[in-house]
Amino acid sequence: MARIKYIFRDGWRLIWRHFGMSLLTIFTAMAVFFVIGSTMLFILNIRNIIGTMENQLSIQAYLKADSDIEAAAKSVRAMSGVQSVNIITKETALERLRARLGNQANAVTLLGDNPLPSSLEVRVERAAQVADIARRLITLSAVEDIVYAGHVAEKLTRLSRFVEHFSVVMLIMALAASGVVLFNTIRISVYSRADEIDVMMKVGATSTYVAFPFVIQGFILGLLGAVTASAALGYAYFSALVPLREMLPFIPFIESKRLLFTLSLVLICCGAVVSLFASLVAVEKFIRKAAKPL
Amino acid sequence: MDIKFSGVSKIFEPDIVALEDVYLNIGRGEFVYLVGETGSGKTTLMRCIFREVIPSRGHISVGGHVLRKMGRFELALFRRDIGVIFQDFSLLPNLTAFENVAFVLEVMGVPVREINDRVTDALKTVGIWRRRMLYPQQMSGGEQQRLAIARAIVNEPSLILADEPTGNLDNHTADEIMQLLLDINAAGATVLMATHNQLLVDSYRHRVIEIRRGRVVRDEKQGGYEADGAY
Repeated sequence: MARIKYIFRDGWRLIWRHFGMSLLTIFTAMAVFFVIGSTMLFILNIRNIIGTMENQLSIQAYLKADSDIEAAAKSVRAMSGVQSVNIITKETALERLRARLGNQANAVTLLGDNPLPSSLEVRVERAAQVADIARRLITLSAVEDIVYAGHVAEKLTRLSRFVEHFSVVMLIMALAASGVVLFNTIRISVYSRADEIDVMMKVGATSTYVAFPFVIQGFILGLLGAVTASAALGYAYFSALVPLREMLPFIPFIESKRLLFTLSLVLICCGAVVSLFASLVAVEKFIRKAAKPL
Repeated sequence: MDIKFSGVSKIFEPDIVALEDVYLNIGRGEFVYLVGETGSGKTTLMRCIFREVIPSRGHISVGGHVLRKMGRFELALFRRDIGVIFQDFSLLPNLTAFENVAFVLEVMGVPVREINDRVTDALKTVGIWRRRMLYPQQMSGGEQQRLAIARAIVNEPSLILADEPTGNLDNHTADEIMQLLLDINAAGATVLMATHNQLLVDSYRHRVIEIRRGRVVRDEKQGGYEADGAY
């Protein structure tokens, strides 16, 4: 029991003994884990958007300028699987844009003559039919282009895949960087106490007794970095969420505090594991060398 | 703690022969002087006992432990029963005199209250209790030497290895330190003391082992610093 007390006391002392270095390590770990957390949040949001879009059942069919809107709507209504068709004239489209822009509605005047096309808002009966009906719609002579959630979702999925691959690489690099910084901090601590360690080993200290204060030092620094990063990330995310919801009301951002809490736990666990591993490697390397007889 | 050397040689790379074919048998509770010129191999011999140096040939056993076969953990436990007074004292400059001695007991996991009692006893024994709050660099050479001794005896070891414990000290202080080591020996510990101090060796007669160029050239019971024409 007494030995555990001494080990923890020494670990705590080490942090204060190299306070500047400790602070730098915490900040670096914090920055690294903040980046990791932000990337994870970005991916989670993209996935959430994709999930929401995939469940949407409407297709927007934009019509050619000279086409007959009513005739086009009639032929679409006749298609199997179509639940309803809503006609959006050029004027309605402009009104909707004005409404969406809110305070900046006057900016619409910059467009001059209304350039927005007429369109049909096609609602299908089942999500599985969306792609098939979209393919049939594009074959109609009156239809210029179609936009449907599944189409956007496909593009977003591709983006998400790229971001995921990129973030895995970034995650590994960030974790390695954080590990190297922690490793170096612990190594500096170990070398600054080289004489002390030498005497400790001569008076019968076990390797565990010598190593543990350094491991505790690294663990506390890594953990503090990850905890502060989690707190900063949570604060930054929820602060940014209010203006983001106002600016992009059609995007379903993640608002679950539980998910954020889980993400924080993951970050903290990462911090703990990386710091433990980096400290152990740094101190074990030194002890092995110091314990080796001539 | 008894010490046995069987045909021990130590060659440092590339070809420095520090010890050559050493046979020794030191019994439990003996007081032994290790004499010889600087660089003759005294310190290497002591470091072999402490397993800081591994022989190139031969075997060493200390207190029944075969040193070559020791693992890291076993070595740590083994060293707890040996008090070493290093030539350079090896005191920690950022710890007070009290902390320097307490450190040994902390490593062994002794409870705080017991540490306080035992460190107090050790510092009083070597006569520097009043200097306990000073840092080593604030102490004189003699005081530092005493502090090193206090650290070596605080865990009541069975073996004391003293490498030049009276080096650079005046005769009076050297005499006091010698008295301390004799008291420790009288309490049952084996003491092996490497020294150049002729006056001490001649005044307090004990077994003398002389080393020259890594070889044991004299092993005399109740010997003097110089050989009495025996070789």
